[in-house]
This record gives sequence, structure tokens and C-alpha cells, in this order.
Amino acid sequence: MKSLKFLFRTLIIPSLLFVVGCSTCCREAVVAPPPPPPPAPVVPVSTELGDVFFAFDSALLNTVSESQLNENVQWMNDNPEASVVIEGHCDERGTDEYNIALGERRAETAKNYMTNAGVDPSRMQTVSYGEERPFDPGHDEDAWAKNRRAHFVAK
Amino acid sequence: MVMNKPNLFFRALLVFALYIAVFPALLSAEPVKEYIKISKEGVKRIPLVLKHLDTEKNKNKQYASEIDAIVKRGLDFTGLFAIIRAPLNIISGGELYQAGKRSINFAALSSVGAEVYAGGVLEKKGSTLSLDMEVYDALTGKLLMRKLYQGDKGNMRKLAHRFCGDLVKMFTGKPSIFESKIAFVQLSGGKKEICLAEFDGYGAVVVTRSGGLALTPALSPDSRKLAYLTYTGGKPDLQIKDLATDAIVSVKKKGVKIDPAWRNGTVELATTFSFDGNQELYLLRDNGTITRRLTRHGMIDVSPAFSPDGRKMAFVSSRHGSPQIFILDLFSGSVKRLTYEGKYNTQPAWSPVGDKIAFTTMQKNGEINIFTVNADGRGLRQLTYRARHNEAPSWSPDGTMIMFSSDRSGRKKLYVMNADGRNQRSLRLGGQQMQPSWSTFQLKSSSY
Repeated sequence: MKSLKFLFRTLIIPSLLFVVGCSTCCREAVVAPPPPPPPAPVVPVSTELGDVFFAFDSALLNTVSESQLNENVQWMNDNPEASVVIEGHCDERGTDEYNIALGERRAETAKNYMTNAGVDPSRMQTVSYGEERPFDPGHDEDAWAKNRRAHFVAK
Repeated sequence: MVMNKPNLFFRALLVFALYIAVFPALLSAEPVKEYIKISKEGVKRIPLVLKHLDTEKNKNKQYASEIDAIVKRGLDFTGLFAIIRAPLNIISGGELYQAGKRSINFAALSSVGAEVYAGGVLEKKGSTLSLDMEVYDALTGKLLMRKLYQGDKGNMRKLAHRFCGDLVKMFTGKPSIFESKIAFVQLSGGKKEICLAEFDGYGAVVVTRSGGLALTPALSPDSRKLAYLTYTGGKPDLQIKDLATDAIVSVKKKGVKIDPAWRNGTVELATTFSFDGNQELYLLRDNGTITRRLTRHGMIDVSPAFSPDGRKMAFVSSRHGSPQIFILDLFSGSVKRLTYEGKYNTQPAWSPVGDKIAFTTMQKNGEINIFTVNADGRGLRQLTYRARHNEAPSWSPDGTMIMFSSDRSGRKKLYVMNADGRNQRSLRLGGQQMQPSWSTFQLKSSSY
């Protein structure tokens, strides 16, 4: 019995005290809640295919276009059945014939980047429209910047 | 005064040679004067009195006035003549059709500044029209040409243009434009298809069914075949169409096909393919088979244009960064850079008669302007000024004119100008047009 009493005193009481104390503490926490941590994502956020933009008379990538291409790579990985057409486009400046070549180089640059990032090249087709299919019909730098692009179309 | 004048024909030839060879850059915006007098540079249009066609029977007057109008429009189009209203007292002693009685009053012609007189008589038998045409040197009274033209009344345009062609050939020594054809891109309702028409845009017919995107037409030297790019089915193809049979050869290589051009003196054409991974120029036969690769460089090579003898090819390359024009010697393989001024030089067009190359420059102010330069890189001359975007120059078969597209009016239209940039005017076709291609030589004999 003595040993039981001892056990009660040494283990049960402190643990009861601990539980009471803890519940007090929890009640206080309800009164002033800390910001809850963001919930861990159950389903991964779906990436979107996005266009990649270029400087005038250029088919070179920059950090912004590379980060969009990384998202496009992620999308291809998330959608393993999908394939895409990458359309190369130019702004209305410059001449039509040269821009068909430039548009193709833009589309191919995007495709090569994604191929190097592990995407099967047979899932990506390219086509150049030169300056024939502008996204924005305007005649200023705002419009031109939107039109110098590699445009991704999922099939 | 008259006695001291050298022979008109040689003067005209000399004037013309000066006109296309050494005339310095001119403002395109100069006012169009109907009668351009001798300028300080000694360059002018030939002052021509074009007498209305006479006809013995009043009922044929409508044919006469219709042919008069066609002749005048045709000669105006060439930019070679200043057409002067005929003085009233030009014929004396009888009517023009009374060949035995009447005479031409050359003093009256000289007094209005005419140097050439052209006139004639129209007759009609059944449905056949006859034009009896005379051309005189108005200063010496010498008969320069007399010729009878006959044709069906259903085709007065061809009848009138045969006379125009002979008149022009007499002064230039070259086959005239009047039998040549043009191809161009017509934009209607957001769709681009290729049209074929006579030299001035008359009688345009759509010859492609691409479904909305056909580009860069190139007429073969004999006007029998048309090469162009079409996006049928969302993929670009090079098509070579036989205009007589409508048979189409479709070249379905991987990648782009851009801006074909025919090689003079052969049945070959050059175009850009990218099946090799890069945009390179190739020679191919008109049956679509590739005969030779012409360029090998990691950057863009496009827009071929051949010299009249087919030995050299101007083209656009970005191998030095921005697009510039280069010349490839097809026999030696050597490549020389042609353009150094400006950062964006494209669309070369080699004159079918000379060593001049027309091209376009995109300038800092956003304008695109047409220039010409000799094949050796000298003699750079600007032909268009302050008129927005002027693109896609294409030479007339005689090398006296350049056709191009311009959006100076707000919409893209076809224009022609003399080879020195003067006399710029619209073809006034409905809708919008671009990328003209003028056949370099005529069909052999006419089918009048």
C-alpha cells in the first residue's frame, strides 16, 4: 500500500497537476490565438502553362522566361499524357520573312530548354507564325512586348 | 533651234540612262506636276502629246474613247511620260482619218512643249478593231513608228497595251511591263490569300485556298509558276503551283519554309528550310527536290534574291548580330557583306536589268524605308521618306520601276515608283495588299 501511495504521490498527482495546468494554458491560448500555420498542401498546386517573352530581335532567355519555362516543365511532368504546340511569335516591327525565322528560333529555344529539363521532345511541337498572329493588336511597346513570345498550347 | 537638237531617240535614251543611273536621291513627297520641265539634273519625263483616236464612223467613238483612256492610264503608269493635252490646231487639211489630205502641225506641237506626238485612227469590222498608230518626233517631224494593231473588241485592254508596249520599248530599248504579271498577298476579313493580276493590279484573282494564311508569293520568270508559303492545317508548307494546270507541288519538310525566290535562267528556286535545326538557304527544283545547300551558319539566313544571270544571290543573315544583306557567289562560294548602314536591313530585290539591289531598312524612328545600292555596295540611295512602313520592293521586268507595299495611308496598299523613287502612287486596289512579286520576264509571244 505504501508503495501505491508513493506511486500516487510521485506520478499520478504531478501528472494530474500537469494536465490541469496544461488545460489552463490551452484556454489562455484560445483567448489570444497565434496565427495558425498554413495548412500543408494535400494536393500539389497545379501549375499553368505560360507564355515566354523575348526582347526585340532576340530569341534569348532571361531569368523571368526561364522561371516560366520551369513552371511549364512542371506542368508537363504533372500532365504526362499531354503534349504541347509551342508557337513562336514576333511583334509587328521588322519584316515579315525575317520574323518567321525569328519566331521559329523563339519556339525552338523554349523547346530546347524544356528538353534539357527532362521533357520528352516528342511531346513538344514548334511552329512559327512570325508577326502574323499578334496577341495584342496595338502599335506600341506594351503591345509589342506581349507579342514577342513563345506561346504554349496544350493538345 | 530645231536643227541643233540631236536626234530625239538618242536624247530620250540618254535621258533615260541618266534617269536610272545617276540621278541623286529625291524627295518622294515632291508635288506631282503633270508637266515636268527639264530639271537642273537634266532629268525629265518625255513630253508627249497623245491625240485622241479618230474614227470615221461616229458609232465607233465609244471604242475610241475607251482605248484612249486605257492608253493614257498605261503610259501614265510607266512614269516615263508627261502627257500634254493636244493643241486644237494639231491637224490641218482634213480629219485625222483622211490620211491623204491632212497633215500634222508640228509647230503647234512644239509650242506646247511636246517632243513626241502619238495618235491614230480606229476602225471596226465585225468584232475586230484596228488601230492605225503613228508616232512622230514633234521637234523634227520625223516618223518614229507606224503600226497597225488588230484585236477583238472584247479585249481592248490588250490591244491598247500592245501599242503602249511598243512605244515604251522604243524609248527604253527594253521589253515593257505591259505583258507582265504580279502576285501579291491580299488581306480580306483577317485572312491572307495570294492573288495574281496584271502588272497594274487589273483582273486580280485569288489563286490560293490556304484557309487564311498564305504568304511570300514568288512568280517564276516566265509567270507560269507561283511559289509561296501556306499554313494549311496549321503547319507551314512551301507550295509550287503550275498556274496553267493548277497542279501543286507541296514541299513538306520539317520546320519553316520562308520566302522562296526563283533563280534566273534556271527552273530552280531558293528558299529557307530549318529541317536541319537552323534556318538555312537551299536550292531546289520546281518539282520540290533539293539540289544544293547554300548556307551553313548558326544564325538566320533568309530572303534570297538572284542576280539577272543567276550566278549570285543576295540574302539576309543575322550572322553578325542584327539582320544585314550579304551576297553569295554560287560558283566560288564566297560571301560578301553588302549593307553596313543601319541595324536592320532586309528584303533584298535584285534589279532584273542592272546591278542594283533594292532593300528595306528599319530606322530608329520606327519607319521602314526602301533603298537601292549597287551590287558592289556603293551608290546607296534612299527612295522613300517619312511615309511609315514601306516594304517588300519588287522590280518591274524592265528595271524602270519598283513595286512595294506601304501603310502610309493607314492601310497596307501596293504602290509603284520609278527606280529613282520619283512618282510614287498607289495601285488603288480594294482591301489591303502586301508582298508584291513582279514577274521578271514576260511570256514569250502574246496570245492576242
